[in-house]
Parts: sequence; C-alpha cells; structure tokens
Amino acid sequence: MSINIQDVSKSFGSFPAVNHVNLEIPTGEFVALLGPSGSGKTTLLRIIAGLEQVDYGTILFKGIDTTRKSVKERKVGFVFQHYALFKHMTIFDNIAFGLKVRPRKTRPSKEEIKSKVYELLKLVQLEELANRYPSQLSGGQRQRIALARALAVEPEVLLLDEPFGALDAKVRQELRHWLREIHQRLNITTVFVTHDQEEALEMADTVVVMNNGKIEQIGSPEEVYQQPVNAFVYSFLGRVNTFREGGIEGYVRPHEIKVSKILTGTTNVTSEVIHVHSVGAIIRIELKRQDTGELFEVEIDGEKLLEFGRLKKGDILYANLTNIKTYSNNYLTNRTFIKESFINKTQSIPFGN
Amino acid sequence: MSGIKTTITPHPMNQTNFSFIRKWILIGIALLFLGLFLFLPLVAVFTEALKKGLEVYYLSLVEKDALAAIKLTLITAAIAVPINTIFGVIAAWAITKFNFKGKNILITLIDLPFAISPVISGLIFVLLFGAHGVFGPLLAANDIKIVFAIPGIILATTFITFPFVARELIPVMQEQGTEEEQAALTLGANGWQLFFRVTLPNIKWGLLYGIILCNARAMGEFGAVSVVSGHIRGLTNTIPLHVEILYNEYNFSAAFAVASLLAILALVTLVIKSIVEWKSERSKVTV
Repeated sequence: MSINIQDVSKSFGSFPAVNHVNLEIPTGEFVALLGPSGSGKTTLLRIIAGLEQVDYGTILFKGIDTTRKSVKERKVGFVFQHYALFKHMTIFDNIAFGLKVRPRKTRPSKEEIKSKVYELLKLVQLEELANRYPSQLSGGQRQRIALARALAVEPEVLLLDEPFGALDAKVRQELRHWLREIHQRLNITTVFVTHDQEEALEMADTVVVMNNGKIEQIGSPEEVYQQPVNAFVYSFLGRVNTFREGGIEGYVRPHEIKVSKILTGTTNVTSEVIHVHSVGAIIRIELKRQDTGELFEVEIDGEKLLEFGRLKKGDILYANLTNIKTYSNNYLTNRTFIKESFINKTQSIPFGN
Repeated sequence: MSGIKTTITPHPMNQTNFSFIRKWILIGIALLFLGLFLFLPLVAVFTEALKKGLEVYYLSLVEKDALAAIKLTLITAAIAVPINTIFGVIAAWAITKFNFKGKNILITLIDLPFAISPVISGLIFVLLFGAHGVFGPLLAANDIKIVFAIPGIILATTFITFPFVARELIPVMQEQGTEEEQAALTLGANGWQLFFRVTLPNIKWGLLYGIILCNARAMGEFGAVSVVSGHIRGLTNTIPLHVEILYNEYNFSAAFAVASLLAILALVTLVIKSIVEWKSERSKVTV
C-alpha cells in the first residue's frame, strides 16, 4: 500500500514536532526515518499509524484520504520500541489478540486462529514459546513476538518505532537481517524509525533523514551517504571531522583524509598523533593539527599501518586536507577550504622524537 | 579473614550483640504497641460481646432493630461501593492516560474526602438537602427526603469512600503506561475490548484492593453518617450508629455483640487484603 504524506504538521504545545512534511512511500518499500532525538521521526510514524492526529495536512493511503480515520480503520501493524506485549497473556494469546477482537462476522474460527498463530510463530522461529508469558522471554524474542502480533492482522503497512533500540548490539545485528528477510518474503510496505545511521543505511531501500521536524533529504542509502545535500545530513550519516575557518565550517570523513609519514605536495598539514585505536579492520588515528590546534580523526587500513611501522603518541604525520566539503544555504560549495597560509611550508621534518 | 579479625578484636562481636539487642528492643516496642492499641481492644470487644453467653450474643444480633441496621449497612455498601468503583476507575483512567488542563485540581478533589473531617462531610449534605438547605424547599415541595433518610446516608457514605478506589488505581495505572493500550488499538480493539481485555487484567489486583478498603470504610463510617442519619431506630441506623445507641442505653453486651460484627468485617478485610497483596506480588514476579 502506498502512503502519501502531504504538508503534514503537528505541534506539542508550542513545540513543532513535525513541520510541513511531504513524503511519498510507494507500495512495498522499506523506508527508514532517520534522525536525532527530537527530530520528529517518531511523531511522523505515529501520525501515519493514527496514534497522533495531525494539526495540518493530509495523509493518503492508496490515494484515499485517511487523515481523519481512526487507528483501527487504518489497519496498520505497529511495533513499539519496548515491545508493549500484553503481560498477562501467553505468547499465543498475544499473537491471537488482533484476530480475537474482530467483530463476529469477520472473526476467524478457533481453528483458523490457531493455525494462523502457529504459522506466524514459525515465521518468527519461536514455535516452542506459544504457552510462555512475555516476562519469560528475552528482549530479542519479545520483539519478534511483537512483530508476529502486528502481522497477525495482515496489515498493509508495517510501522516500527525504534524496533531494536532496547536490544544489545549482537541481537540487534541478528534482527536486522531477519527483518529484511521477512520484508523480502512478505513484501509489505514497511517504515521504521531509527536514530542509528548504520541501521538505516544497512536495512532500508530509502532513507529519509529528518531534523527539527523537517525532512533534510530523501534517497537511497548510497545517495544520502555519498551525496548529502547539506551539512546536517553529511555529519549525521557517518563519522565526520569539522574544521572551521573564517566562520565557515568544512567537513571531511575520516577515511577521506590521506596521511603520510613524509611531507609531500598533497599531504602537507603537519599533525601530531594523539591516540591510535587499532582494534578491528579499520585503524583510527586521532590527530592534532599543529597550525590551528584542531583535533581530527583519520581512518586507515591495517596495510597502511604496517607501512607506517609503529605509531605512537607524539609522532608526526602529514595530512591531505584538500577534499573538505563546505555547505552554504544547504548547497555544496566547491571552494577549496584550505588556504595557502595553512599549508605547512617548512621542510624540517621532525622525526625521531 | 573476617574470622581472624573477630578473634583478635572483640569489637565486631560486640557490635553484632548490640545490633541483636537493638533489633529485639525495636520489635518488642512495636509488638507492645500493637498489643496495647490493637489486639487488646479487639479481644475486649469479643469478650464483652460473649460475657453473658452465646445466647445473648445471638439474640442481640437477630433483634429487630439490629437486623434493620445490618440491612441498611449492607444496602449502603451495595450502592456506594459499585458507584465508587466505576467512578474511581474512570477518574484514575482520565488522570493517568490523558493530559488535560486542571488535572492537578482533579487529583486534589479526589483527596478532598480524606482531608476534611467526616462530620463536616455530613454537614455539607445537611446544608445542601436539609429543610433549611439550598435545595431544601425544592425537595420538600416534591416530597423527596434525602437528609435523615436512606438517600442521605448513601450520599454521605459515597462521598467519604470516594478516594479509595481511585487512589489505589492511580499509581498502578501510572506504572502501566499507555503502550499496551496503543498496541491493542493498532490491533483493532474497540474501547470495551481495550478496557476488559488489556487494562482491567493489568489493574485487577489494585482494583480489588481498593474495593475492599472502600467496602470496609463504607460499612464502618460513623461521623458523616451520624450527621445525616437522624438516628431513627429501625429506619436510618447503620451498624456503627446502632452500636452507639445500644452503648448509650447501657446495653453493653448487645452493643459489643453488634460491634463484633464490624470487628469481624475488619479481620476478614485484612485477610482478603493480605491474599490480594500476596497474589499481586506473585503476578508481578511471574508475569
């Protein structure tokens, strides 16, 4: 089912949580609403579900105006960050709830409900837990049951509010793959909210980056990462170094900075090693520019580290800071950020200290 | 390590001895106080009631006016408790699940009957519905009697016992939050299904606890009821009022016999309350 959000606004008191937002979600898409806390992403999701009423604007489901329809009429599946399972019901009854509350005319028979529940338990791979209570399950299991419960009513849209936010890193990783698989199998329009850029980039077909109640950028993970439209998106979507010069901020990702141990024409900003994080495939080096005193981070691979030999605090590296990006009025400006004056011209190479 | 220490210095040993004594002194004081002020009176009620034998005890209870008082008390509780249960749930629901202006005023209003003297509460109804009260002439013209009649007693009791259910439920419902209800909504539940299948099972022990306390107070209320009742024997006397009348007539055995009914009610309430608390603790642990 396609969702069309047209010029939607919602305030809490005087705080504009969602501010004139337009968004089109085609049928079967897997969309991430990504943003820092307070960016309005959860409010937007709850507006789609009908759990919040809009102050202004229109929401269309399949082209039909749904703005004033109740949660019940919208037939969405909603998964909460803290699971919101019914504590006093067994897992079976939790999943069956949506079917059991249907009016008699459309309510399936007991046998049909039972087979549907077991089919869903099989989908979430937790068949053996039917008679347990939510408190007897781990966080990851609870969230899978919450998803099964949401899917039981056969919604045409699945909405997930920070679904993995309360889980530990390993379980989160597992569930990401698993949710993608389920989406591929059922091909149901899915919108999920996250503040974790890695999660959004890894899972979604389309990433919607939000900030201060507005959408900053909509695009594929590659687009938003490679071609961020403004400084906010650039800095939110990955590790970033910020440099200031004459009131203008410039940004560059740690892996985009080349460093060498000898001064060359391109790697020419003298920097002192502050710290080396060498766990994992990527080695992060914290550096301090000697000209401006600004701290920044570079990422190199293990091979490069071997080339450098042992790096320790106080060593000097030379960095290439020429591909710094700056934005003005949300447009990428192509001017070179590093002025001639910043570039180290001294030829004395302070080795061996 | 600690074993060696205690053999070298007697100090820790002394300390444990001291804390042992301190513990039992505290427990002793508590028990003595409870015995003097709670247990002894309870025993006194039953010994006085049974002083002249079981037969007098029994006759005091089945005497016409006593039966009328018991009946009136049961009727009052049967009306006041359900009313307060329904309104208590509604008030607690409104306060915990919605945000609105004047919420704090509502919370304060719920506590009002706790804050003011029961006699004043009774007086409010006399001032409102009495012969010289605000609505007095209107009621008299339509031949409706509220004060010095059963409706007045029920009104006063309902007013006095209003806070019990709401007060019990507010913290329970606050802890629950609204996520389970929202989940039920997204799964297509209507209002009634939401309440009976999701909210009620979550609050049932708190609700039962509130109802028990509300009932105990409804049956035992003296002050407010005394003001509005008029003390008409066999008509507007509840159990506590009947006890007072008997006692003032120096009919001690009968007075204590009827009073023992209230004492038994209190004991039963305590037992049910303990069971409910135990059950709700257990449901918290396992569910």
